[in-house]
Amino acid sequence: MPASERCSKSSDATKKGAIEMETLNDNGLTMVENYYRDYGYRARALKQAGKRIMGYISAAAPVEIINAAGFTPVRIKGDPKEAVTKAYGSMETLVCPFLLNAFDLALKGKYDYLDGIVIPHTCDSVSRTYEVWKRNFPLPYYHFLNVPHLDGAPSLEFFTQILKTFIRSLEQFTGKEISKKNLDHAVLAYNELRQAMRDLYDLRKPDQPLISGIEMMKLLVAVKALPVDESTALIRQVSKEVKERKTSSSQKPLRVMIAGDQIDDTALVEIIEKTGAQVVMDDISVGSKLYYADIEVTHDPVDGIAEYYLEKVSLPTFYRDKGGSYDENLELRFGHLKRFISEFDVDAVILLVYKNCDPYGFEVPATTSYIESLGKPVFYVEDEYSSSSSSRLKTRIEAFIEMLTQERR
Amino acid sequence: MAEERKQRMTATAAAAKVPKMVRANFTANLKAKEEGRPVAFSFIVNCYDEILRAMDIVPAWAESYSGICAAKHDAGRFLEKAESQNFSRSLCTYATCGLGFEYWRNELGGEMPPNAPWGGIARPDFILGTGQMLCDPRYKWPQAVQHYMRDVPAYIGGFYWPPYDENMDQREVENYYLKYAVEELKGVIAFIEKQTQRKMDWDKLEEVTDLVDRTWDMFIDAYELRKVRPTPMDTGDAMNTMVPLAFMLGTQEAYDFYKDLYDELKDKIERKEGVAEDERYRLLWGAGLPPWFALGDFQYFNSKGAVFPVERTYREAERIDRLHLPKLSDPLERIALRWMRYWTHWYDAARKRKGSIPEVERLIEYIEDYQIDGVVFHKAFSCRTWHSGIVLQAQILKEVYREIPINHNYYKRCGNRYKYQ
Repeated sequence: MPASERCSKSSDATKKGAIEMETLNDNGLTMVENYYRDYGYRARALKQAGKRIMGYISAAAPVEIINAAGFTPVRIKGDPKEAVTKAYGSMETLVCPFLLNAFDLALKGKYDYLDGIVIPHTCDSVSRTYEVWKRNFPLPYYHFLNVPHLDGAPSLEFFTQILKTFIRSLEQFTGKEISKKNLDHAVLAYNELRQAMRDLYDLRKPDQPLISGIEMMKLLVAVKALPVDESTALIRQVSKEVKERKTSSSQKPLRVMIAGDQIDDTALVEIIEKTGAQVVMDDISVGSKLYYADIEVTHDPVDGIAEYYLEKVSLPTFYRDKGGSYDENLELRFGHLKRFISEFDVDAVILLVYKNCDPYGFEVPATTSYIESLGKPVFYVEDEYSSSSSSRLKTRIEAFIEMLTQERR
Repeated sequence: MAEERKQRMTATAAAAKVPKMVRANFTANLKAKEEGRPVAFSFIVNCYDEILRAMDIVPAWAESYSGICAAKHDAGRFLEKAESQNFSRSLCTYATCGLGFEYWRNELGGEMPPNAPWGGIARPDFILGTGQMLCDPRYKWPQAVQHYMRDVPAYIGGFYWPPYDENMDQREVENYYLKYAVEELKGVIAFIEKQTQRKMDWDKLEEVTDLVDRTWDMFIDAYELRKVRPTPMDTGDAMNTMVPLAFMLGTQEAYDFYKDLYDELKDKIERKEGVAEDERYRLLWGAGLPPWFALGDFQYFNSKGAVFPVERTYREAERIDRLHLPKLSDPLERIALRWMRYWTHWYDAARKRKGSIPEVERLIEYIEDYQIDGVVFHKAFSCRTWHSGIVLQAQILKEVYREIPINHNYYKRCGNRYKYQ
């Protein structure tokens, strides 16, 4: 269904939608399905009820500050099933295919409920197209957040100043001060969300995971367009529902971890799980990259927020080097993969990198050799953010999993 | 193997000298390595030129070497090596050419790949990169290449400038940007001191910083002589004459080169000697990397009476007095602020013209100063930083300025598989 049709259909739903948080009454997974299928549905309802909604791009945007300013943050995503048709006239094809697709959706009206967009400096594709977004998809507020690539004391101090400039800019836009109390509250609320998500991830650890990779992917996406408290409640509800499941099979599936950046669609996971394998963990930017550390509660909450994004979110746009050896730096960059592989008993890793992605693309040999050094097979595939390539992807992934399944026999 | 190719004609004697200068740069890094003097991989607009020269570090310019491989039509085998390591062909091909080269060298146990163009590039003692807004490969390439030279340490310094915001004067936030950049430059010095056991000579650093100021001025003074009709030099030559600014900044040789170029252009102007026999159209090279494999194409334009008296590409300097720099005594502050004010130089003009952006203001300035009739934008498929946003620039230029003919070119920058589209 084209995005424009989905938009008009969902606006009917929006009219019916209540401002109050929808009741969860044992239907968490159903709500996840709805939120996933009609991304932004809840945000549109909130907008109609007079709330403010702020879009943002990438995992490097400090949602805590956006929340503290009184906005519901909505992560901008694309739709691989939607062919890019409008964006080509104003954005170059050599940029990240996810970004091009998301921009195309914006031009088609998918994000017309936003009050503004925050675009962090993550990669060339994102930073060089800031003005393209601003000119072609005009909204009352835009902010370019100059996130540095480095950690360490000077970078941290610099980023703290960048965040303070961002706060002032939001205050100017809303005409309202962002108080320490609001920031403290937002930090705690997002930490609570992270804890709830980690608790849910734990339910993937048993031999028979209690939640499928497809369900998990839908949830990871759904919560990116909900108010934080609703997200946390939804995650807890889903945890409660899946804990009641009884495992039917005694056979342990092949356990796969997916890795990459903005994988925000179930297509890849569906291909994997249709083979009988199960996705039990991820290292993606809408998933675990955001949830496996908390923001430290600091006297000035901006310090804790700065430290979290620069030092605890494992994106390849953050350069990690504490002056140690190459192998020590590899641990700083990929050590979390070792922990995930061990804790989630991962049998194999599928690394999907989008074409035109410099930050991930330059990491491929280092990432794959690190995983292989742990004795785990890794399958690397470059793809475009489009379902048009899913048949090719399917054949290759099925062959990889079949090979591993035969080795296990 | 490299094809034998006919020498490209240049309009100026200065441009004709450049290939020898480039070769001398590579001879210098290979010789330094042989003699045990420190060699560092460095990247264009790293902003460390003064520091490298003041500490007698021999730079081995990684992009420059990839450009040489491409110009010699001999990059394909290095790109294939990189692809064998799963580096995507959609990545920056300057980087993948260099990565393929280093992968191969590592495979050979440190020996130079066979028949490496111009004898190869020295294996560095350390790598200097930057995290900044100029491009991602500036920090991802050093990190990726370490995979094939694990014993070689890298330093990546943060060097940012305030982004353009039509509602905010960039000087409001300049102080904390400056403070950060200075801290990071101190970090580069500390890193080099640790690697080389050499101490920074601060007096020398100050001297080199003065020299760079003078070189920027001389570069602009020489280039601005191209405003006259007929223009005595065009972009075809500028793609050569950018070399001292990009790869030799902080040396007396670079300054002297632009002084000689200035004198040569003055002389040509006096003799009314233009690039084209019958100059009819004046074009601006609005953006984009040049087709290194086909710089002779500029002569095709010249044969039709079209010249490029000015280009945005590789003009990474401005006259110092136009940057309105305060008097600073710390050379690191001078280096940092000079770059920062350069990158933000067109912000004020953009704020004054409704609907404009700094990149477009820069084009408008060139269009007016150089009496330009049309703009050519040139896109290389694997370089996001230079080539994203060009469509927008063209659109805004027409909206806020005037209807001016614009041409977009595309090419794939793939070594000896270069193709126009």
